Amino acid sequence: MAKRRVFLAALAVMLAALATHGPARAADIVIGVPSWSSAEATAHVLGEIIHQKFGVSVAYKAGTNEEIFAAMDSGEMQVHPEVWLPNHRALMLDYVNGRKTVAMNRHGVPATQGMCTTAATAEKYHIASISDLADPEKVKIFDTDSNGKGEVWIGDKDWASTRIEKIRAKSYGYDATMTLLEGEETVAMAMIDVAAATGKPLVFYCYAPHHLFQLHDVKLLDEPAHDPTKWIVHTPSDDPDWLKNSSAPVAWDVSFLHIHYQKALEEAHPDVAKLLANVELDTDTISAMTYALVAERKDPAEFAGEWVADNAERIEGWLK
Amino acid sequence: MAEMTERTHTAPLSRLKRAAFLAVAILGIAGISAAAVAEASRYWDPVSKKWIVYNPKRVQEAATAQGGTPKRFRRTVVDFETAERPGTIIIDADQHFLYLVQPGFKAIRYGVGVGRDGFGWSGVVTIGRKAEWPTWTPPTDMIERDPKLVKYASGMPGGPENPLGARAMYLHYGGKDTLYRIHGTNEPWSIGLNVSSGCIRLNNEDIKDLYTRVGVGSKVIVLMSGAALYES
Repeated sequence: MAKRRVFLAALAVMLAALATHGPARAADIVIGVPSWSSAEATAHVLGEIIHQKFGVSVAYKAGTNEEIFAAMDSGEMQVHPEVWLPNHRALMLDYVNGRKTVAMNRHGVPATQGMCTTAATAEKYHIASISDLADPEKVKIFDTDSNGKGEVWIGDKDWASTRIEKIRAKSYGYDATMTLLEGEETVAMAMIDVAAATGKPLVFYCYAPHHLFQLHDVKLLDEPAHDPTKWIVHTPSDDPDWLKNSSAPVAWDVSFLHIHYQKALEEAHPDVAKLLANVELDTDTISAMTYALVAERKDPAEFAGEWVADNAERIEGWLK
Repeated sequence: MAEMTERTHTAPLSRLKRAAFLAVAILGIAGISAAAVAEASRYWDPVSKKWIVYNPKRVQEAATAQGGTPKRFRRTVVDFETAERPGTIIIDADQHFLYLVQPGFKAIRYGVGVGRDGFGWSGVVTIGRKAEWPTWTPPTDMIERDPKLVKYASGMPGGPENPLGARAMYLHYGGKDTLYRIHGTNEPWSIGLNVSSGCIRLNNEDIKDLYTRVGVGSKVIVLMSGAALYES
């Protein structure tokens, strides 16, 4: 597990209040709720559809990726709303291909990550490409401590992706022109809020789906397409000189988000299993759902109810 | 008036430093480098990226003319799109603003003065306690640097001369006092500048206003930019 596992730990406290309705109670279907907002949104929408269409009771329970997969294996949980692949490929191979106790929805939702800037920054200062960050003159606009170097947030210090962002900064050369900041996502998001409100130039690590893209007008910086032959990424555990020996001067590969569910549902609740196999979401839909819950602070159950009503035709297609 | 003994990172200004700050304030420069404090005879202009020598005579005139918080740092309501809940405080040390998130993607924006030493941090904390007209107790090392403070070793009573000003809100992390505060000031012209030693200052009118709007437990986000990047 890469980014998402550490992401869980980093945001567990922040999202605790949103992540669950409390301890799982006796219910036909228990949906695991990982501690990031898009998974929470999908969890509640799926739960609401299942409850409305099949009349079964649904409960929600917070958990890490590993916990939810283990719970689907043991029968304590039935659904994981958002598994990042290939980040969690090992879990998928273990439970889906190996133990055959978990099934995977085949309709993956593309997920992207990279470096972003505010639209105002891109327009006013002509920051469009990740190569711009290696230009010492261009990045002076991001200098807030008068040391001649810009500053850029590259992620939470505990995220696996942050380590890779260090490799990318070295590979593109902006580790020499910018100070790489690591810190909590809550702080980084507030920094973007302030930049948007004041027009202050800002560049930062970003990933989608994320409510950020509904909240602010941000641009993903251009960079060379992903090339697996150029993506040489070592970890501290396999190489003490991991940063020196790594190189990644290309974009991240696209990840895919997949719903997973307990295989036994195909016998216990075949209608529910069919729905979970057929659901087909997309990046914009998940981002919009997340925005409604996180930014607009809609009650998850109420929002899911509205969403189901507004998307009746689409949902009918998933039930066939 | 609450009488509480508090130790903070706020340092009273020397006359010389104050002169330097006034010079900057009258020129309307918001982001003076804390290095100017040490230099005293010149200040860093982040706009021109140059050190500027100040003129003592102009400083004296500026002190008379200024008299209060610079206009751009006065309290106002602004558009502010955020996913943070109303009641959350966001502190942007770089641009010297404190935002109090309001419903409807609005925020009340206050001008703040920030410090250098001890402000090399960012993160999410909470208001653990509040106090009106708090007593200020200078830290031991500060008394050693300035023996005149020895008379306040057991605490300077709250009041107009007290550097903590009219109100203080105590920032806690993990249930413990960080020793950093959001507080008032008896030097309103210093709003917009980096002069204290790690605390966040609002003029007394603004700190009273903020005090009534936030309660114990409120979330405070300190951004990782500008003064927060300075190494202490």
